[in-house]
Amino acid sequence: MTYIDDRQPPKREDRLGTCTAFGGELCGLKKRFGGGCSMVDNERAFRQGSICQMIPAIAILATLPDTVVIMHGAVGCGGSNHTYQAATRSRQMLATDNPRGVQWVSTALGETDVVNGGEQKLRGAILDADARYRPAAIFVVSTCTPSVIGDDVDGVIDAVRDSVAARIVPVHCEGFKTKVMATAYDAVYHGVARTLMDQLEEPEYSSIDSTLEREAERLRRSRLVNLLNVSSMGDDDEAELSRLLRSLGLEVNIYPCFAQPENIRYAAEAALSVSTCPTHDDYFVSFLKDTFDVPYVLQHMPLGIANTSDWVRGAAAALGLEAIAERLIEREVAELQTALEPIRAKLAGKTAVVSAGEVRTLSFATLLHELGMRTLAVRPYHYDEFGAPAAERLVEVDPSLTVNVATMQPYEAVNIVERTRPDIYIGHNADSVWAAKLGVPCLPVYGGPNTYMGYQGVYDIARRLARKLANPSFNRRLAEHVRSPYERAWLDADPFSLVVQEECADV
Amino acid sequence: MSSRCSIERPRGFCALGGASLAVGAIPGAVPIMHTAVGCGGSIYWTQLGATGYLGAGYVGGMAVPSSNVCEKDVIFGGAERLTEQVEHTLRIVKGELYVIVTGCMTDIIGDDIDSVAREFQDQARIIAVETGGFRGDGYVGYDLVLRGLFRDFVRHGEETQGDLVNVWGIVPGQDAFWRGNLDRVRDLLESLGLRVNTFFTAQDSVGSLETSSAAALNVVVSQSYGLEAAAVFEEEHGVPSLATQFPIGPTATAEFLRSVGAELDVSPRTIEAAVAAGTDRYYRYVERVADGYNDLDFQRYAVVVGDANYAPALTRFLADDLGWLPELTVVTDPIDDEDIRRNVVAPLATLESGLTPHVVWETNTTDVGRHLIELKGARNGDRYFDSFSPAFVVGSSHERELARNIGAGHLTVAYPVADRVVLDRGYAGFDGSLSLIEDLLSVLVKER
Repeated sequence: MTYIDDRQPPKREDRLGTCTAFGGELCGLKKRFGGGCSMVDNERAFRQGSICQMIPAIAILATLPDTVVIMHGAVGCGGSNHTYQAATRSRQMLATDNPRGVQWVSTALGETDVVNGGEQKLRGAILDADARYRPAAIFVVSTCTPSVIGDDVDGVIDAVRDSVAARIVPVHCEGFKTKVMATAYDAVYHGVARTLMDQLEEPEYSSIDSTLEREAERLRRSRLVNLLNVSSMGDDDEAELSRLLRSLGLEVNIYPCFAQPENIRYAAEAALSVSTCPTHDDYFVSFLKDTFDVPYVLQHMPLGIANTSDWVRGAAAALGLEAIAERLIEREVAELQTALEPIRAKLAGKTAVVSAGEVRTLSFATLLHELGMRTLAVRPYHYDEFGAPAAERLVEVDPSLTVNVATMQPYEAVNIVERTRPDIYIGHNADSVWAAKLGVPCLPVYGGPNTYMGYQGVYDIARRLARKLANPSFNRRLAEHVRSPYERAWLDADPFSLVVQEECADV
Repeated sequence: MSSRCSIERPRGFCALGGASLAVGAIPGAVPIMHTAVGCGGSIYWTQLGATGYLGAGYVGGMAVPSSNVCEKDVIFGGAERLTEQVEHTLRIVKGELYVIVTGCMTDIIGDDIDSVAREFQDQARIIAVETGGFRGDGYVGYDLVLRGLFRDFVRHGEETQGDLVNVWGIVPGQDAFWRGNLDRVRDLLESLGLRVNTFFTAQDSVGSLETSSAAALNVVVSQSYGLEAAAVFEEEHGVPSLATQFPIGPTATAEFLRSVGAELDVSPRTIEAAVAAGTDRYYRYVERVADGYNDLDFQRYAVVVGDANYAPALTRFLADDLGWLPELTVVTDPIDDEDIRRNVVAPLATLESGLTPHVVWETNTTDVGRHLIELKGARNGDRYFDSFSPAFVVGSSHERELARNIGAGHLTVAYPVADRVVLDRGYAGFDGSLSLIEDLLSVLVKER
């Protein structure tokens, strides 16, 4: 990790050559963007609302208990907390019958602040949040406006740090600075790494003879793994993945979402970090490796049969548990296949379009293939090296699969869905409705309280797909009664005709 | 206070959010956002969590055309990007009216959006309005868009039609029930023999907005929202306005009909007939819930938490019509203007029931409970304590926690609305009041 001393991490366009606009065949995407290409700056001549790095950043922060999130910006930034509230409340309800939801405040910068600067307000907001809520940590999320008017956010934080009880974590995620919303993960982990990861104190051993105790602690740590979760995972997903790792004889701690901020530093004592989404986790697992020498596995999302098995294999191999893993996988897969048998007939030959983050989308398409379905197009939000392993697996299934790299952009989705008429659309929150309006049934690509991950996830997805396909009347009727906003000429045009492809010197 | 450093869990959108939702609520109108890459998503995520599951609609949500300016546009100016965006929007997205609305970044760098709009004037009906998020909350954005439309789009020189009125002041999205509420207000005014433009419901159109300058009166159903737009309308088109209280309950509704009717010289006979018909219909239903009200003792102490429209209107209804005891009314808007504050809560000083609810202006959600404790005290283990019970909290989804803390019933009416799905429900007028009684009392019988 070469960035940890910098105040802000680089954007992913620069760090990884991440692409956000592409249309074509999967093999072409892989060839061109397999390892990222920093020369490529593809764009669109027509754009629709999108996601900035602030949005997924605060999705993570909203999960953290005992914290206050200060949105430093205009009053609207942070409103997405109203949506994250649902997941946060459901977790809080495991512990209380009266959940508060997300505790956040906004500095609500106004016209005079734009002229005079927002530093005084931020200072007051930090002091007030500390005194009022007594949180373990305060996250200061810096948005577009303070960045452009020149607020010294880090300066304000440094100046008040000694006056407040809470840890203050700056998160720089100004939306206009990157087209890759996944830069959010780096922004959050960068702040966490710089402010919450103190060196761990030595355990207190017996003063007479501590040999046994030391050995016990060494043994505990040698079997301790960090399971990196994402905010879009439900607790059932976590339970399934923990179950698999525990079946290998491992002890599991889950970070960062829903973890107590003062506990995140214990990630440093583990024997291994296991990622569930390379796009999401790379910055943090690299930091743990570089700073605390915790090795990591960062390759697959455990979504689908082969991906889950390889995910288990990866974790096991890093700890020398290959033999146990193979026995576990064999048993799990056999049991799952038997359970899937009665559902398969309902899914055989059904077609789908999939849309979400790069790893999830590409992995989901492979999962559909495993269920006997056929994917007609995939729409990853962006593409870079973290999508490559999933793409590799998918290329074997269908090298000419249509790929539309787009952070939402429903006008391209609508064009593709009209052309391909899939039996089902598997899409992200806020994205699926446009396929729904064309009469296609939709399955959310993630979301509690359902299971998506691991072998249990495959079964749950299969039965939910069968349920969705069993009665698509709502969307079919809907399609008969809504008006499309798009001109016919657009629907007849090549769906990628407005993607402006820049030349790439490396290829 | 202007000295506040932060707002806890703000109850609304930014100006751009309010503006784009307002444009999107006009049938046939298309917003074009000129803003940073995430504003469209951020606003939609806000909408999905806070407005009673209001979806994207025709071309809202993630489909909203948006310039998505990036770092280089912020450095070199975004007008060129906007021009390209508008050009393609007109080719791809069908609309009868396009409204460019801007965000913080493009306002701060000062892109000349008016000249971009002018470039396309011969191809489409298109205007531009500066609505950067730092200009205020969603209510301000709504007012800014109305001002822009009244100034630059509504046709000048229409001949006045004495029976035509325009209604606004009920803000799409900020009020999750805006469609139902506007429908109910329209019904009321039609009962006076008037024709009504409400701009933001399925019954309205770009065409009726364009010719709305023919109205004899603008009725602003708010003492706070859309007032500056009313001044612009009068200045541009000479149409006067009447700002009223938001009418919930038969008492307030009767007053509303009488004040609008008088302003337009509707005959007293027509007005009184409308009041009588509405009131009678209301009481034929209420009569049949009177048994439950009295046998099961449906009377409650109440805390009301809401915006400048809902907080006073709900309080008055609870006090003067439903016979409850609203003791604390919390208005959640960050409004500092003393005149507006006074007008908003004026009706609470003269309630017919003689009650005098304690009124506070508070933007911090967790402080609502503090105000209640300050007002009512705490039991402190006393054996005999005149507690605030049985109680009910009418507020937003945020007030679920408070209600549970004090063992009160709870109904979400005000923003954010996360625990209800809202379609055509509205609480204004006689019929809206019946819906409100249904919803309030249903909470009390839920476990029976």
